[in-house]
Amino acid sequence: MSECIVITSGKGGVGKTTTTANLGVALARLGKKVVVVDADIGLRNLDVILGLENRIVYDLVHVIEGECRLRQALIKDKRTENLFLLPAAQTRDKNAVGPEQMKKLVADLKVDFDYVLIDCPAGIEQGFKNSIAGADRAIVVVTPEVSSVRDADRIIGLVEAAELPEPHLVINRFRAKMVKAGEMMNKDDVLEILAIPLVGMVPDSEDVIVSANRGSPAAFDDKSIVGEAYRRIARRVTGEQNVPFVATEEPENWWGAMKRWMGLGEAREVAG
Amino acid sequence: MTSFFDKLFGAPRGSKDEAKARLKVLLVHDQVDLTPSQMDAMRAEILEVIARYAEVDREKVDIRLEKAADQVRLTSSVPVRRVTQRVGSVPA
Repeated sequence: MSECIVITSGKGGVGKTTTTANLGVALARLGKKVVVVDADIGLRNLDVILGLENRIVYDLVHVIEGECRLRQALIKDKRTENLFLLPAAQTRDKNAVGPEQMKKLVADLKVDFDYVLIDCPAGIEQGFKNSIAGADRAIVVVTPEVSSVRDADRIIGLVEAAELPEPHLVINRFRAKMVKAGEMMNKDDVLEILAIPLVGMVPDSEDVIVSANRGSPAAFDDKSIVGEAYRRIARRVTGEQNVPFVATEEPENWWGAMKRWMGLGEAREVAG
Repeated sequence: MTSFFDKLFGAPRGSKDEAKARLKVLLVHDQVDLTPSQMDAMRAEILEVIARYAEVDREKVDIRLEKAADQVRLTSSVPVRRVTQRVGSVPA
């Protein structure tokens, strides 16, 4: 059974593209056949995050306008067996595509893939409507900030108005130190306001910038905490139960701190 | 920023409580907002209903959504010139 998941947020710059790329990589590494679709027509970036920008010949608009076959536009990621990219057009605008065409495209992709992940553009206009048109469900990415949570609330309303099931939430750019100091909303604060199920927490990390520089998502890196966070999201997305969240809290006592300092402690996990 | 003394004697509440409180108000407002054209349409319909019973001074009508901290309230001030329906009669 294949599934189409749209990754959305409302607000720009909260990590939709990073989340799409990493979730795609992580699902592919679990042996799922995955295609990531860049729906941000005119402002494509998923290709760059995946390091596949030099291999683009055809794009989503070419496929929809019948200028090439679907398979010709799919770019295979060589680092893993099962990951493909369908890039957005860079020189067209969002009105080049409509919801019905996206539904058809997604239906065609679902024949060959277990997961179709759609990287939704920021905003609530045409690009958003196109992105959710063919989706079976949505993942909403939020950072623990007032503006991002506000826009996420709006998007959750629009997703539900489109008769998609209740979306799942990824809390991105979580900073444990700031949370501990009471200067950042914690998981429960965000969940209390948005009231949808949590599918992942991703700590704020320099890894994301380094991996974007290299065009190699952190989910490829077994040592990266961000990569681990996304690999666990992928496991939850496939339906695995009780996957613990990655450690996002400081050690609670001096002994724990000492053990970690001496390298004796294991990466702490926060259940639930 | 928390100072040394804040840490020593228990810090005042951090900015996250402020963020959360602001969000709660913001979302109440976002969720009940009407566009100006929806607001005009609602105003016109309310006046239409009132007009079945009374003649009002349309120039001085004031119907609006008032936003308070924890709720949004529809308030209206509608000056009535005279009642067109007598007590006990049924509107047409």
